[in-house]
Amino acid sequence: MLYVAKRLAVSLLLIWVVATVVFMTLHMVPGDPAEVLLSTGGTSPDPYAVAELREKLGLDRPLLVQYAEFLERLTRFDLGNSLVDDYPVAEEIALRLPRTLELILAGTLIAVVIALPTATYAALHAGGAFDRAASATAAVLQALPVFVLGTLLILLLAQWLRWMPAGGYVPLAQDPGRHFLLLLLPAVAVAKGLAATVFRMARASVLDQLSRDHVRTARAKGLTQGRVMRRHVVRNAMIPVTTVLGLQMGTLLGGTVLVEYVFNWPGLSTPLLRAVEGRDYPMVVGIVLVVSGLFLLINLVMDLLYAVLDPRISRS
Amino acid sequence: MKRLLFPGALVASIVLVALAAPILGLPDPVRQDVSNRLAPYLPGSPLGRDEFGRDVLSRIIWGARASLGVAFTSALIAGIVGTLLGLIAGWFRGTVEFISVRIADVVLCFPPILLALLVVTLLGPGASTLILVLSILYLPGFVRVTYAEVLSAGRQDYVEAVRALGAPTPRILLRTVLPNIAGPVLVQFSLAVAAAVVVESGLSFLGLGVVPPTPSWGLMIRGARATMEQAPLYLLYPCLALTLTILSMNLLCDALRDAVDRKGGARAPRLRAVDRILPGLFPARDPAPLLEVQALTVEIATPSGPIRPVEDVAFTVRAGETLAIVGESGSGKSITATAVMGLLPPVAQVVAGIARFEGRDLLDLPEEERRKLRGGAIAMVFQDPMSSLNPVHRVGDQVAEAIRAHREVSAAAASQEAVDLLKRVGIADPERRARAYPHELSGGMRQRVMIAMAIANRPRLLIADEPTTALDVTVQAGILDLLAQLRRETGMGVILITHSLGVVAETAEEVVVMYAAQVVERGTVAEVFARPLHPYTRALLAAVPEGEAEPEGIPGVVPRPDSWPPGCRFAPRCSFATAACERPPLLEQAGERLVRCIRWKELA
Repeated sequence: MLYVAKRLAVSLLLIWVVATVVFMTLHMVPGDPAEVLLSTGGTSPDPYAVAELREKLGLDRPLLVQYAEFLERLTRFDLGNSLVDDYPVAEEIALRLPRTLELILAGTLIAVVIALPTATYAALHAGGAFDRAASATAAVLQALPVFVLGTLLILLLAQWLRWMPAGGYVPLAQDPGRHFLLLLLPAVAVAKGLAATVFRMARASVLDQLSRDHVRTARAKGLTQGRVMRRHVVRNAMIPVTTVLGLQMGTLLGGTVLVEYVFNWPGLSTPLLRAVEGRDYPMVVGIVLVVSGLFLLINLVMDLLYAVLDPRISRS
Repeated sequence: MKRLLFPGALVASIVLVALAAPILGLPDPVRQDVSNRLAPYLPGSPLGRDEFGRDVLSRIIWGARASLGVAFTSALIAGIVGTLLGLIAGWFRGTVEFISVRIADVVLCFPPILLALLVVTLLGPGASTLILVLSILYLPGFVRVTYAEVLSAGRQDYVEAVRALGAPTPRILLRTVLPNIAGPVLVQFSLAVAAAVVVESGLSFLGLGVVPPTPSWGLMIRGARATMEQAPLYLLYPCLALTLTILSMNLLCDALRDAVDRKGGARAPRLRAVDRILPGLFPARDPAPLLEVQALTVEIATPSGPIRPVEDVAFTVRAGETLAIVGESGSGKSITATAVMGLLPPVAQVVAGIARFEGRDLLDLPEEERRKLRGGAIAMVFQDPMSSLNPVHRVGDQVAEAIRAHREVSAAAASQEAVDLLKRVGIADPERRARAYPHELSGGMRQRVMIAMAIANRPRLLIADEPTTALDVTVQAGILDLLAQLRRETGMGVILITHSLGVVAETAEEVVVMYAAQVVERGTVAEVFARPLHPYTRALLAAVPEGEAEPEGIPGVVPRPDSWPPGCRFAPRCSFATAACERPPLLEQAGERLVRCIRWKELA
């Protein structure tokens, strides 16, 4: 229990650190931030526009006041308004975050469901044909950038074979079948990197467990091979895998930006990219904060799961 | 090192081609020629022209320059700054340490691409922004690696020595510490370059990285997506180039990491079980012994040929009796027991012999039959109870699991029985202990749990492999008493593997002395202790003045299985050795006893 409380406190602290860093980035840029935001390709921006933006972002006030206000608004989930259309950033995120979350969840599920059994089987038959084939596949998948895979999937399955739609989105309530069909390819693309990493980690971890004394004890008890694997090999092997899973989520969250773009999935990626191109600073900050917060949250969950899996953590 | 060759050559050639781009006589990669838009092949353009009529081959090669240039530059910056920060943090500790390590860690709180997009929003896209972003992203990796290495290197003797000589700090850091952490830093560098190529191409693909018209693989894929219906090949070329580059870099990273780690050698191939030798008949005193092992030989395949850690071993265990197997480390006693249990690791194979248990040859049984015997009729207790218990399950559950592996009982009944068993092996407050995890128990208590697990299904044979070696001297006697008491109560046969003759004298009736994979003497404890026939047994006994102590005073160590003397294996350490000992001695009958020494009669 103490462990959970400690871990929660650390997470809150990290969220504060992330918010502070995001706040600071604007002010760490050399020169006037408003001028920097408005300048394109070396031309000096209109001084009137600069003054207006300064006021809009509150840049004319003392730094500490700005910081305090920024944190205070954060506690109310007020992320400011878009510079482009004055629409509240938090509302835009609230609309699109569930779709991104769905993609992440589906991708993680696919990755874990495919990678874990494959890795276990490969480790059990280490050096065999299956192991070599699976390890080689994982290496290739790891090298294949997520947007390359996405683009190639569209080329192959949508353009050439015409088995799948090339992308898009239909709300679940409107047409569940079509919704999941459209989810499939982007989810596979999101899953690939995670699947490759989890495979490699789980394979190594299972191999390591197989040589442990307690596995020999389990076999000496006369447990069936299946039970030895489930309770004494895979169960223990999952402990390091959860850590990797949490750390890999950062790459996965970045990957979803690319995947959503490739497949026209209307998650956070669309407003984010539009905002980066249009230098819509509050929108970018809002999305970066939310996604980083999500990343920290996932890692918190993974750490708690870790503690459940490994009794040596929380009790000692 | 061999593994480095192929990916290393691949990466080197990609880098070379990219570097040589200006002198390859390629067409201008940015010159547009709309009349030849999407031309599949033109003289001088073997891969055709893209959507603006630009030469595709030229763009791919110049694209490598852009991608690799950004990746190498940023990895280099991150490497230099990160390594310096890590060095300083690890060396000075204190506030400097806190600031540099924590600041680096903050970067790890962000998903990489999002941090990159945040910076791009502020500074606008372009190669210099990319280099800045990527340097920041890979900085923490270098700080962490260097920091950790400096912390461990700082404690090394050679660093202490240089420091004691009064060398100035920067000099120590650069001349002594840095070369020693070069390996991990190099690995980190290759990882950073590979990852930077991925992020650079991803951002360029989104149109937020390298600015057009500069050729870059990410941009090419972005451009070719629009025309993929008419010209799918233009999509495939940059995809292939990018994937191949990352793949070869990843392979190089793996190979580098393995070379730096130098842990875990290649796994030896499985050994083919050769035809089993027909075992010779052995005189038995009891018509129906519990376990009868004959001519047991185990082979392990190694890169330099097969070795035999157990050779032609034979012994008999009767119900209610304890047989001790003694010998120094490396004599093959544990492998003998593991072979009988059928728990040999895959690299080891029984190549000859039989192990007849209650009439059935264990070595010849199908795996499922053996499984039913393991933990059932034959149970085993191992040396180190900490590593032998699963750290993530409660000990009560682990005992209950042994029960349910062999009997159809409910989970609740098994749990209750587990508590009873814990009580029976002398654990106080068994209900509470059953819910404990192994790390919450003392060593002696853990071994009692192991014993409870072993006796859960009333085994008729218990194999205890050095059950007290890993324990405190004060609890050793308790464990041995428990084993003796259980044996009396249940009438099970016990094989006790130990290197302690004191233990043998107290607990066993029969003793097998093993040396270098072979049985050198066998007989009743009373006879062997009163009148040892083999010089090795004598030496072992002489090394135990009183009570329990490790055998010492025998010069030298047990030779390794790949370098056994051709004749008597003990001869090099034997004070009675003569020229005749260069011929291998046979195991001879000496009254009720067996001994493997050609001079036993003279020495007796």
